[in-house]
Amino acid sequence: MDDYDKTCLESALVGVCNIVQQEWGGAIPCQLQSTDSLDCLERLIDLNNGEGQIFTIDGPLCLKNVQSMFGKLIDLAYTPFHAILKCGHLTADVQVFPRPEPFVVDEEIDPIPKVINTDLEIVGFIDIADISSPPVLSRHLVLPIALNKEGDEVGTGITDDNEDENSANQIAGKIPNFCVLLHGSLKVEGMVAIVQLGPEWHGMLYSQADSKKKSNLMMSLFEPGPEPLPWLGKMAQLGPISDAKENPYGEDDNKSPFPLQPKNKRSYAQNVTVWIKPSGLQTDVQKILRNARKLPEKTQTFYKELNRLRKAALAFGFLDLLKGVADMLERECTLLPDTAHPDAAFQLTHAAQQLKLASTGTSEYAGYEHNITPLHTDFSGSSAERM
Amino acid sequence: MSSLMAALAAVGPPNPRADPECCSILHGLVAAVETLCKITEYQHEARTLLMENAERVGNRGRIICITNAKSDSHVRMLEDCVQETIHEHNKLAANSDHLMQIQKCELVLIHTYAVGEDSLVSDRPKKELSPVLTSEVHSVRAGRHLATKLNILVQQHFDLASTTITNIPMKEEQHANTSANYDVELLHHKDAHVDFLKSGDTHIGGSSREGSFKETITLKWCTPRTNNIELHYCTGAYRISPVDVNSRPSSCLTNFLLNGRSVLLEQPRKSGSKVISHMLSSHGGEIFLHVLSSSRSILEDPPSISEGCGGRVTDYRITDFGEFMRENRLTPFLDPRYKIDGSLEIPLERAKDQLEKHTRYWPMIISQTTIFNMQAVVPLASVIVKESLTEEDVLNCQKTIYNLVDMERKNDPLPISTVGTRGKGPKRDEQYRIMWNELETLVRAHINNSEKHQRVLECLMACRSKPPEEEERKKRGRKREDKEDKSEKAVKDYEQEKSWQDSERLKGILERGKEELAEAEIIKDSPDSPEPPNKKPLVDMDETPPVEKSKGPVSLLSLWSNRINTANSRKHQEFAGRLNSVNNRAELYQHLKEENGMETAENGKASRQ
Repeated sequence: MDDYDKTCLESALVGVCNIVQQEWGGAIPCQLQSTDSLDCLERLIDLNNGEGQIFTIDGPLCLKNVQSMFGKLIDLAYTPFHAILKCGHLTADVQVFPRPEPFVVDEEIDPIPKVINTDLEIVGFIDIADISSPPVLSRHLVLPIALNKEGDEVGTGITDDNEDENSANQIAGKIPNFCVLLHGSLKVEGMVAIVQLGPEWHGMLYSQADSKKKSNLMMSLFEPGPEPLPWLGKMAQLGPISDAKENPYGEDDNKSPFPLQPKNKRSYAQNVTVWIKPSGLQTDVQKILRNARKLPEKTQTFYKELNRLRKAALAFGFLDLLKGVADMLERECTLLPDTAHPDAAFQLTHAAQQLKLASTGTSEYAGYEHNITPLHTDFSGSSAERM
Repeated sequence: MSSLMAALAAVGPPNPRADPECCSILHGLVAAVETLCKITEYQHEARTLLMENAERVGNRGRIICITNAKSDSHVRMLEDCVQETIHEHNKLAANSDHLMQIQKCELVLIHTYAVGEDSLVSDRPKKELSPVLTSEVHSVRAGRHLATKLNILVQQHFDLASTTITNIPMKEEQHANTSANYDVELLHHKDAHVDFLKSGDTHIGGSSREGSFKETITLKWCTPRTNNIELHYCTGAYRISPVDVNSRPSSCLTNFLLNGRSVLLEQPRKSGSKVISHMLSSHGGEIFLHVLSSSRSILEDPPSISEGCGGRVTDYRITDFGEFMRENRLTPFLDPRYKIDGSLEIPLERAKDQLEKHTRYWPMIISQTTIFNMQAVVPLASVIVKESLTEEDVLNCQKTIYNLVDMERKNDPLPISTVGTRGKGPKRDEQYRIMWNELETLVRAHINNSEKHQRVLECLMACRSKPPEEEERKKRGRKREDKEDKSEKAVKDYEQEKSWQDSERLKGILERGKEELAEAEIIKDSPDSPEPPNKKPLVDMDETPPVEKSKGPVSLLSLWSNRINTANSRKHQEFAGRLNSVNNRAELYQHLKEENGMETAENGKASRQ
């Protein structure tokens, strides 16, 4: 531990910050306890944008008052979160640790922070492969607890070696608990349980193994909203497979209804034409010429590439390119060797003519959707397919 | 992308022969302002939701104009035009439901000029022209310089950041031995870097091109160790866009991901162990950058399950619950469905409804159940939980029941656990009663689903072997039935749902009774022959109390008697003599007495005169 100047609170905070970060990373909330004078602490809170609280001892300094102050601190910051985990009629009393924090959905429209329900209702199950490491707000341990008649926790499950047979822990250990059943099956099947945390707020329950090969039941919270995971779609639209005409998972679990595909294909999943650098344009033109020299075998590819170039040129308003390529094709025609197939010459001339028409920008040949099709000749009986 | 390209093609380049006024950029700027005033679907929904607080919904926008300006004063003119247009349209919007006023507008003017020429317009940083309008001017050469400038602007405007993936193992055909370094730069929301910014551990490298400094964070491709699908703790997932979308390295990377493989990305560290900070993964054809939490967890060393509640139980029905989970998996229903009353059906509600049905009776441990350990029960157990049954389903349930009766007749063994019982455990016929009780509990839990479910219960009740009292009464002249009745009455607590559970306790007491009646033969019934009528030994007649009507609490014996009598009465017609009997005594051969002139006395007993 480094020494820090006690009078300079800021550097002390930075020092604590660094230690916490090194050990725990940047995402951990941290509580500071300090015994400073009241107005110092108040200024500190102001600096921190009003986040923080001061606890004072009411009355003279005595054990009882100190206890009540810490009692208030505990109630505020350290209260356990008790909930009921439900799957239809199967239920278990649980503690969720750490306590889930309130979450603000949309500062502008709905600034009131939301807290999860104490009734955690499972709505269905999904394979781990389909849930695909989803982004979550936080994750928590779900621990089964035994509650006595007053609803107080009885036995935290931490056993002493000296405990006798009839202690509350021992008894609780022998009563079948839904959490244990759920955890065991989730682990064996490699699945997660989707749980409802509130209106339009969901999460998942799963088995998580720590580094020592021991595993526990955990719960992660998705971001509130109707569609936290794009590849699952809207949560409200998820229903039981028995309602589907045929099992979407197939007879042998060899299929899956997930992931859902976005309405529009992404640019990297399409054949996009990019001419930011001159090399891009050069490559595309060269492709056309290479195919031109291999007509009529490469008729299909030739026209495919030609139409792609044509469309891009029209979109970019690069009409001169069409004229230029038309000239190049005519030149290729003159360079054809005598051994070339007669159809090649026909196609080249036809293509060049079509491009010139498109380059005027006014005729119907300049329509974006109008594709140049191969010329139908006596030689090209088989290549008269539509491109 | 394709719709954008089609739209551009439809607009086409300006006609050089037309009047310059027609293709002035002013038309575009005016159209832009008009569009900003139009309400979007999200705004409309939010306003409807908030009602009185509708003014919380904002309307702010940005206009990016790429043009060639003549001079700085030309630029000034364009700005003035935008300002006036906003002013006019805001007035219109104030009186309209379909339009919203523009609260803030950012104008970004990009002056682009041909390579080789000089710029006639100077750059100007963002300046407030009015409370509603700010403006900035960028001057940039056409071509790839324009692309670079837009790349920087798009990151500012959409809160994006750049990550460069390095160390991509690419197979180079020509230079098989060289490991050429192909980097791929990706754009994504800047929140994917939030952990870096917090820790101050950024590896900001960049290239300086014409004074525009590009920041990017470099991550190393990490060859995946196994093909196992792991559930990572992920705090964010952001869509990516490659900067150079169809360069060879880019398309190599994106194709690899689109084929279903995921890539882990490592934070290059000068010292210490390697840290996996991100993961690239494709979902349905869309590539996401997942942020993995690499910090230490506060949940280290959690309590062991075996030490907690239910941790000492060793026979949970894990496999069966696994099957239950697979049957209750979720799938998307994209087409809207409607209920009988015409209201919209919500698939998730149906899912919850199904779980409720499937768990009405679901024992958690193997030793708590008999029927779920039996293959013979599967056809019934698997359909009885359904909302509605087909005729075939009912038939299969009935076949299951008949099969079980058959098993009982053949005295087939049952998978009843003898764990925890003292001695040999229950005898075979008692085991079957336990099984029937449990099956009845399961079926009863679903009788309200439909009329067909009721029929299954009726079949079950008709076929199942009866509770001990009734079986004993079938035996001839056993006086010890008395004893048994009393002990049963004292012990049994007949609750329908728990009847089978109580049978467990009951079997202990019955064991004692059984030992006394060891020589007794129990006649097994076949479902085809009708049951013989209830024959009670004469000695018990007078002691049998009449059936009580439900006045106050009904006695246990009368409950049993009623049930047995109801079941029996369905199987045969009551004897005429018994129907006409007085105090359960019937006068026989009455016609003979009449013929012989004897009078019938009060009790129907013949008396000689």
